[in-house]
Amino acid sequence: MPPPTPPLPDHPILVVGAGGIGAPAALALGHAGVTRLCIVDDDQVELGNLHRQILFDEGDVGTDKLAALRRALVRRLPALEIELRPGRALPDTALELCAGAAVVIDATDNFASRFLLADAAHLAGVPIVHAAAVRWQATVLAVAAAGRPCYRCLFEDVPAGVLVDCATAGVAGPVCGVSGALAADRALDLCQGRAPGTILTYDGERDRLREVAVAARRDCPLCGEHPTIGSLDAARYMPPACEGSD
Amino acid sequence: MAVTVRIPTPLRPLTGGMDEVSASGATVLEIIEDLDKRHPGVRDRLLDGGKVRRFVDIFVGPEDIRFLDGAATVVTDGAELTILPAIAGGRAGH
Ligand SMILES: [Zn+2]
Repeated sequence: MPPPTPPLPDHPILVVGAGGIGAPAALALGHAGVTRLCIVDDDQVELGNLHRQILFDEGDVGTDKLAALRRALVRRLPALEIELRPGRALPDTALELCAGAAVVIDATDNFASRFLLADAAHLAGVPIVHAAAVRWQATVLAVAAAGRPCYRCLFEDVPAGVLVDCATAGVAGPVCGVSGALAADRALDLCQGRAPGTILTYDGERDRLREVAVAARRDCPLCGEHPTIGSLDAARYMPPACEGSD
Repeated sequence: MAVTVRIPTPLRPLTGGMDEVSASGATVLEIIEDLDKRHPGVRDRLLDGGKVRRFVDIFVGPEDIRFLDGAATVVTDGAELTILPAIAGGRAGH
């Protein structure tokens, strides 16, 4: 029996990235009773991604992820209202995308998009969940509408170097699923006005889920006492050392 | 000071797959230097010059060192360090 459904938002939940994290998050939200989703992606389904993009099958290979995800969702949830936004979140579109959303789920796979969405959601006054996965590690950070503590409190700025070598990183399918499910759970929390101010980390090698408290930085350029980020200046989101679309 | 360092999965290739390793030092910086002797390459992943990289968070117990003294944060014997890197996403088959 499903748990009782709390009141859910009228505005759509914006899911940016329709891959291994965004797709299971969208499915979980739909099953939780969310009635409207807006999904952003610019990529196609690839055979090599099917192990972690479990809503897609071989018949979807070569088609747009957005179309494939809509098919998969509608089959299960015919009443779900789904708006598709082909493309990426970019400095000139991110604010408008975020502004109409109840919550944003950042399921992108590159740092430039993550920082862009963090800034856009903050400027729009919309809560956001950042969900990521690499190898056997997933992290999920929920940021309240009030915007503190934020992604930049924790990770400051687009990395100039990369901690993980993208050429060898890859990601385990189940870890993506965990990240997406946790993202949906935290998004529903945010819809209820609950923001725990923690980051969840999941270690898929040891099957350990940990929750670490995050504190707001007073000198954070986005949410601190003297913020310096008041607009989405494209130069701030330089392409990362390796970029791809998940 | 002997401490336990929790290694996140992206760094485990450097520690032979170990998720927890021991290290010693009086500060976070000294601990990272010691880790690098035992597991070469760790330092570069965590430090830029003498400072912790901006997209890496290190916690001593529950405390984020950003709110303490950064790499100069003093650690006590038996402390537990957690390394939390920013991760973006991942593509398989690359
Ligand atoms: Zn902040």
